[in-house]
Amino acid sequence: MRRGKAKGAIIGIGEVPTGRFQETEAIEFAMKSAKLAIEDAGINKEEIDCIMPTAAMFSGVFTNEMATGRMVEELGLTGVKTNCNIWSGGSSSSNSLKLACAMLAQGDAKNVLMVQAEKLATGMPSGQAGIDLFAFAGQSPEWEIPFGQNFSSLTALATTRYQYETGTTDEQMAAVCVSNRKWAEMNPHAFFRKPLTIEEVMASKMLSTPLRAKMSNMLFDGGSALIVTSAERAPDVVDKPVYVLGEGGSSTHFVFSQEPDMTRFGFAKAGRLAYEQAGLTAANIDVAEIYDSYPIYQVIAFEELGFCERGGAGEIFLRGDTWPGGKIPCTTDGGMLSKGHIGAGGSYSLLVESVRQLRGTTGERQVPGARFAIETGTGGTYVDSHATILGSEIP
Amino acid sequence: MQIPDKPDPLVNNWARPFWDGTREKKLLIQLCSDCKKHIFYPRMVCPYCFSDNIEWAEASGKATIYSFTVVESNAPSPFVPDMPFVIAVVILEEGVRMLTNIVECDPHALECEQAVEVTFVKKNDEFTLPQFKPVSAT
Repeated sequence: MRRGKAKGAIIGIGEVPTGRFQETEAIEFAMKSAKLAIEDAGINKEEIDCIMPTAAMFSGVFTNEMATGRMVEELGLTGVKTNCNIWSGGSSSSNSLKLACAMLAQGDAKNVLMVQAEKLATGMPSGQAGIDLFAFAGQSPEWEIPFGQNFSSLTALATTRYQYETGTTDEQMAAVCVSNRKWAEMNPHAFFRKPLTIEEVMASKMLSTPLRAKMSNMLFDGGSALIVTSAERAPDVVDKPVYVLGEGGSSTHFVFSQEPDMTRFGFAKAGRLAYEQAGLTAANIDVAEIYDSYPIYQVIAFEELGFCERGGAGEIFLRGDTWPGGKIPCTTDGGMLSKGHIGAGGSYSLLVESVRQLRGTTGERQVPGARFAIETGTGGTYVDSHATILGSEIP
Repeated sequence: MQIPDKPDPLVNNWARPFWDGTREKKLLIQLCSDCKKHIFYPRMVCPYCFSDNIEWAEASGKATIYSFTVVESNAPSPFVPDMPFVIAVVILEEGVRMLTNIVECDPHALECEQAVEVTFVKKNDEFTLPQFKPVSAT
């Protein structure tokens, strides 16, 4: 096997179930996930020399603790040289992995622990207070908030324009929720595991036309962690390293209305960069772990990354190509729509799932013979688009 | 439910002329003196050519709807009494994009690419919001 092209390798993963855990503190999710990941990698905890936690939306205090070394002390990670929060919202895992690989290549780290925990369900107000708190997160207080902008409405704006340009129907958008739910039914870490139909999605409350309640993610508690090492070292440490083959990104706006094309965002560029680094194309990808906080973003990334022609994704999600057993399985942990939204954990979760799929350890939702996966993340009001290509081998 | 006041725009220093303008029923956007491109929202430097030579210009107020949504539920508290109301991204004749509300309309009869024009809606003594209405409405 040629080992020149991989940027790094994931050798350990840890994840706690997504749900509502009133009595559990966020640090417990972080520590449990980190311990699972370290044990999964089979390394000594003292071998972790870099920690990249990420911020949590529910608590500035917890975020500050993670930034200032609580994990180092609590877990006795005495070998740590660098503890540094990496935070870009839902793309935090993409940026952390990129920086981890750079540090590994530079010789500044040997084993990087990426870790994330959130308490969005039980650590924050719920009901209208929760709507208010999240409504203004990441929105421009000068150019958007005074007009009533919120996460549902901005997502609805992207959806309206996308459907106008492509002719995609409401039912086809609803099919994304159904597709993700079919995977979540088989994921013990997912919150929503009951079967879902198009009719149920379409009968749910209208939030902001054409976006309905069941097309919206819900907020939960949870956490996850990964251990990254160099591609050269990985095969000596674990039997099944998962290689980081390509990474691409594109930062396209800050204020949502200033996005030059909210029917595409930056996923085409992100994908092109990642495919180039990996030396692969969409045709080589066995599983697409695409960020899905709402159907529109999953549909757009699916198309822009080359899995179908523009405007074709809706029909593909509807006819089952992305479902278990389908031609291009997509978002196989159920995504934020069915597993649940745990902040930066949205894309962390998909990275963990990519590793499981490429190791062949996902049980009944395993994509047979999966060798290459693409994973995406996007932060804030979809300000940046990231694509990461992973492989069980180096092509 | 106690309805809090709608939030005032949190104004950046260099954007102050925009809000002074709306109070006078003028839609002022920026124009780069060097590359001659219109700019919105107001910037300290031209985001196209990096020039510091930026002037203010009055926009025509004519625009088309790029996208829109009718907010029917789960609005932030201050906007709950307004539901259903329309949030839209419009593209001004000068080429810049702006988030706004479409008012004086049948929310469910709106369409992408529909022509709209600015209307100034006074919020309080300090702030007037530039909102838009269909051109057919008089």
